[in-house]
Amino acid sequence: MNNIDKIKAVKNRSILYTNIRKFFNDKDYLEVSTPTLSSTLIPEATIDNFSTQFISDFYPNKELYMIPSPEVFMKQLISEGYPSIYQFSKCFRNSEQIGKQHNIEFSMLEYYSNGMNEQDSIELTSEMIEKTHLKGTPDWALPPFNKMSINEAMIKYANIDLDKNQRQSDLYEKAIKLGLSSVNKHESWESTFNRIFLTFVEPNLPQEKPLVLYDYPKQIDCLATNQMNYPYKKRWEMYIGGLEIANCYDEMKDEEKIKEYYRKEYMTIVNERSSSSRVIPDIDDQYYEFFKSFPQCSGVAIGMDRLLMSQMNIDSIEGVILFPFSDMIR
Amino acid sequence: MIKAGQIEKGTALLIKGQPFVCIDREFVNPGKGSAFVRLKLKNPGTGQILAETMKSQDNAEEITVEDRDCQYLYNDGSSFHLMLTDTYDQLEVPMANFPDFEYLMKDGDTYRCTFWETQLLDIQIPSKVVYLVTEAEEAVKGDTVQGATKYVTTECGLKVRCPIFIKQGEKIRINTETKEYLERVNS
Repeated sequence: MNNIDKIKAVKNRSILYTNIRKFFNDKDYLEVSTPTLSSTLIPEATIDNFSTQFISDFYPNKELYMIPSPEVFMKQLISEGYPSIYQFSKCFRNSEQIGKQHNIEFSMLEYYSNGMNEQDSIELTSEMIEKTHLKGTPDWALPPFNKMSINEAMIKYANIDLDKNQRQSDLYEKAIKLGLSSVNKHESWESTFNRIFLTFVEPNLPQEKPLVLYDYPKQIDCLATNQMNYPYKKRWEMYIGGLEIANCYDEMKDEEKIKEYYRKEYMTIVNERSSSSRVIPDIDDQYYEFFKSFPQCSGVAIGMDRLLMSQMNIDSIEGVILFPFSDMIR
Repeated sequence: MIKAGQIEKGTALLIKGQPFVCIDREFVNPGKGSAFVRLKLKNPGTGQILAETMKSQDNAEEITVEDRDCQYLYNDGSSFHLMLTDTYDQLEVPMANFPDFEYLMKDGDTYRCTFWETQLLDIQIPSKVVYLVTEAEEAVKGDTVQGATKYVTTECGLKVRCPIFIKQGEKIRINTETKEYLERVNS
């Protein structure tokens, strides 16, 4: 990146952040600032974390973690009776690829809307991009959004109806028919789904407008609520220009289910990582207590570097980051 | 065995008993999912293209390939006939597996070829090669609609667009990947 491009990216980031702050402030969302260094994390088996050490002459030493998302703190605030809140924060994900789409340290915008559900969050996000986008943003990065359920996308691009393939053995057969060879009879439904989705669906998703993919399979466990009577979760992701930019949940508030989620994810992490040097983060085993007083709420996380890329029509994340990680390890 | 995360462009793998060479690789991390590698693989023997997504920790069967020199003898319209320069063994491969190679390989020239056991996986044509111009259109004076270019045909039958000053009997350098003219070569 030359100096002129760098300055342009820095200015655009500043404009976009200013516009977004004004948008949320006008709607009476409260901007919060929560720690990037935490003593506990929400267990997520698919995320690798960074750990560091608190050293003191007066207190016991303690392992601390760089947050992969500010969720752990923001949900606590919501449970304590805060109004709708938003935050720009730095997040960290270890062992991810380095290059065009990922930087291990990245910028996230996260907002939690009190009293709203995931459908309301689609409207809010559309309005936000409409009102805050940079001058010169390409049309394909602007609302209105296209919408498609995951099952519609699977039927359209892989010819698989998930409603009829809820058993791993059925989905496995379909994957074999599609010619996937690395699929394994004994792997999880989720793994087989991901192989099919990533091979045949994601590369073919329409890109003429931002796309909201909604109703994620319930087998992909997360803290989103379940649809009534359907095997899907109230979760959506938004793709802009083929790149995954946002993730949204109708936030789960059932403390028993959250306790169970924590237990399962934590066991998976321990089982998968005990033999390696990968970080096993501490979890707060009383965290579910916060959900005793958790309101109806929807949370959205947006990768700000990627949003900036789309609005500046730049195809590499390193084009919007001043000191990309790849330069540090060169 | 190789971890899928270590597969690179050019890595040769055995899939369902067939050799495949990785022609494209992309890492993907779905929002709530572990790390995957999206691969595009080609079976050079049959030309079959395979899309595959592996977990970065999946094992894949890497195969050992070796490079050997082969002299290109001729093609009979459906097969290329080559000869291994060390053993003088001759081999025949369907032209369809190496599309357009007849316009790039010169009779009698020797090429590095990639083999898996006895199966020919790849014929390595250098990225820049000098060819003789055997036919050249007459340039029409003042015709600059085409940006002052014209078509010429090389000794192998490849038609390329080049500047109007190129004449029959001259030599030109061509980018064999894009099949585009690069420069005139003074012999």
